[in-house]
Amino acid sequence: MRRFTWFNATSLTLGFAFLYIPMLIVIIYSFNESKLVTVWGGFSTKWYGELVQNEAFLDAALVTFKVGLVSSVIATILGTMAAYVLVRGGRFYGRTLFSGMIYAPLVMPEVITGLSLLLLFISIGLDRGIVTIILAHTTFSMCYVSVVVSSRLVSFDRSVEEAALDLGCTPFDAFRSVTLPIIAPAVISGWLLALTLSLDDLVIASFVAGPSATTLPIKVFSSVRLGVSPEINALSTILIGIVALGTVTASITTKRAVVRRRHEQQMAVQAG
Amino acid sequence: MPETTPNPWNDPTAKPLIQFKNVTKRFGNFTAIEDLNIDIYEKEFFALLGPSGCGKTTMMRMLAGFETPTSGTILLDGQDISPIPPNKRSVNMMFQSYALFPHLTVFDNIAFGLKRSNMPKGQIADRVQEMLRLVQIEKFANRKPEQISGGQRQRVALARALAKAPKLLLLDEPLSALDKKLRQETQFELMDIQEKTGTTFVIVTHDQEEAMTVASRVAVMDHGKLKQVDTPDRIYEAPNSAYVADFIGEVNIIEGHSTTQRDTVSIAWAKGQPEIIGTLSKPGMDGNVTFLIRPEKIVISAEKPTDRRNTFQGKVVDIAYLGNLSTYYVQMPNGQMIKAQAANSRRRSSRPFTWEDTVWLSWTDTAGIILDR
Ligand SMILES: Nc1ncnc2c1ncn2[C@@H]1O[C@H](COP(=O)(O)OP(=O)(O)O)[C@@H](O)[C@H]1O
Ligand SMILES: [Mg+2]
Repeated sequence: MRRFTWFNATSLTLGFAFLYIPMLIVIIYSFNESKLVTVWGGFSTKWYGELVQNEAFLDAALVTFKVGLVSSVIATILGTMAAYVLVRGGRFYGRTLFSGMIYAPLVMPEVITGLSLLLLFISIGLDRGIVTIILAHTTFSMCYVSVVVSSRLVSFDRSVEEAALDLGCTPFDAFRSVTLPIIAPAVISGWLLALTLSLDDLVIASFVAGPSATTLPIKVFSSVRLGVSPEINALSTILIGIVALGTVTASITTKRAVVRRRHEQQMAVQAG
Repeated sequence: MPETTPNPWNDPTAKPLIQFKNVTKRFGNFTAIEDLNIDIYEKEFFALLGPSGCGKTTMMRMLAGFETPTSGTILLDGQDISPIPPNKRSVNMMFQSYALFPHLTVFDNIAFGLKRSNMPKGQIADRVQEMLRLVQIEKFANRKPEQISGGQRQRVALARALAKAPKLLLLDEPLSALDKKLRQETQFELMDIQEKTGTTFVIVTHDQEEAMTVASRVAVMDHGKLKQVDTPDRIYEAPNSAYVADFIGEVNIIEGHSTTQRDTVSIAWAKGQPEIIGTLSKPGMDGNVTFLIRPEKIVISAEKPTDRRNTFQGKVVDIAYLGNLSTYYVQMPNGQMIKAQAANSRRRSSRPFTWEDTVWLSWTDTAGIILDR
């Protein structure tokens, strides 16, 4: 046990204050009766009601979730395949180039990624809308998935896959029934990462979004430029709530898994 | 093995199950297996023995289908197996790391291969139960691999590899993770299972005792080459090279020059020393030879023995006490060190020889092996 000291307590408080006071302010003002953001006018939930009535926001939210879901699923499939080839494919012609190209979007400034995708879509004559946002998000999030999945693949014993082949699996069957279940946690966290990146993205989406489809971050950003409204505060509060719920659930699940594993290992020791 | 049936490797009409024909395997410009020829017969318990890195695993992996020979062919039942992928070979492998599927229970691990064969669904459970009984892990059928101990995991791996009743079972250092006592028990269990199932076993090991215990024949390898393939007793008593003799057990290696008179050989090995007398193993062994003799075939005594021709005097330089026996390091006048072993039939305090004692070493004419150099 570390001892309590005033220094530790102060740093902790300051750190938390720095992180959470801005969010706290947003949450508090989302329940503000007054239309003026900086003046407290009493408690009310009316902005939440208005938010639900606001078609533009609802449309944007729907687009965002659709884009996030579709692009993260495609990115997870492609990213997992890329990671598998890179880790298990051995040496093939152009391997270095391939791995370099997969990881390039990680370091590429988003503005450049967005711009180049925009130019591509214009040149092939693809109308900007939900499809282009999905394509763009898939492109930049699959490299994150591939990084997460390949780190798991590197650390697992190749002979388990060989055993599957040895027992009569085709290579695809071995991947489906042995490799995939083993790397599933990494694939799921890759997918969550892709989903978060997509829900969160403003820069790339603003390059490739068209008038027919706007994502929530773009909508929030553009309405804030006209002045912060209590409605935005309400929306932000909802988003904070969703994220908090996700994080807490994730950490509880991992903790449970750790406890269960420890329990199983103890049972193995007792089994002798 | 009963003496009435001739061993297949001595029977020229017997058809081998596995044949390696001039098999070479290179990784880049490193040669892991060089021009290997070997025949393995049905129902054999065949051991591959050699130091680490000599190509044992590579040989196994070629049989299982994870590596292809750079040149040469491997025949299984007279059929070239190189175009057959691992999942179509009736060969199963027990991996050095066990390679159990961590997400499946013991039961499902064993059923894994059966589900991918054309065995009817209803029979799978019965077959798995039979395997669980065979390796005595029925109690753990519903556990995951991480919930059982190392020795139990090893049994699961064995049961899984045996479940499909392959023609050939490959075992890559299956017991290396076990401690000595458990290892010895398991060796006998393996032999038992091999007899019950009638499967051909090829086992890789770097433990010579293990190879001698379980195998019908042993192949000694060195740097990708086969040095000798023979029954355990022949490998021990009639090694064809100093390397094999030295690898299997302890041996004294004495170099000299031989002259033959009829069927005895005299080996001049040191100035001022009597010649070593041996019997001829094959004709025409005049010239430079290596004389090999096992330490336990040398008798150590205080008085010069009169019943045998090979007697040499030396001084005890070192004694290695091994409990059941002691190895005496005796230095000859020319500096050559000879190891002699004696059983410690009496308690330690009454040990007959000690450091700096002058002793006589002696052996019979047939105790040693003479090899061309
Ligand atoms: N895939 C590979 N690539 C390059 N070298 C290899 C490969 N597999 C094995 N080797 C080399 O071949 C030699 C024999 O290896 P192995 O068959 O594993 O030996 P062991 O007898 O210890 O099982 C070793 O020197 C090893 O480094
Ligand atoms: Mg090996």
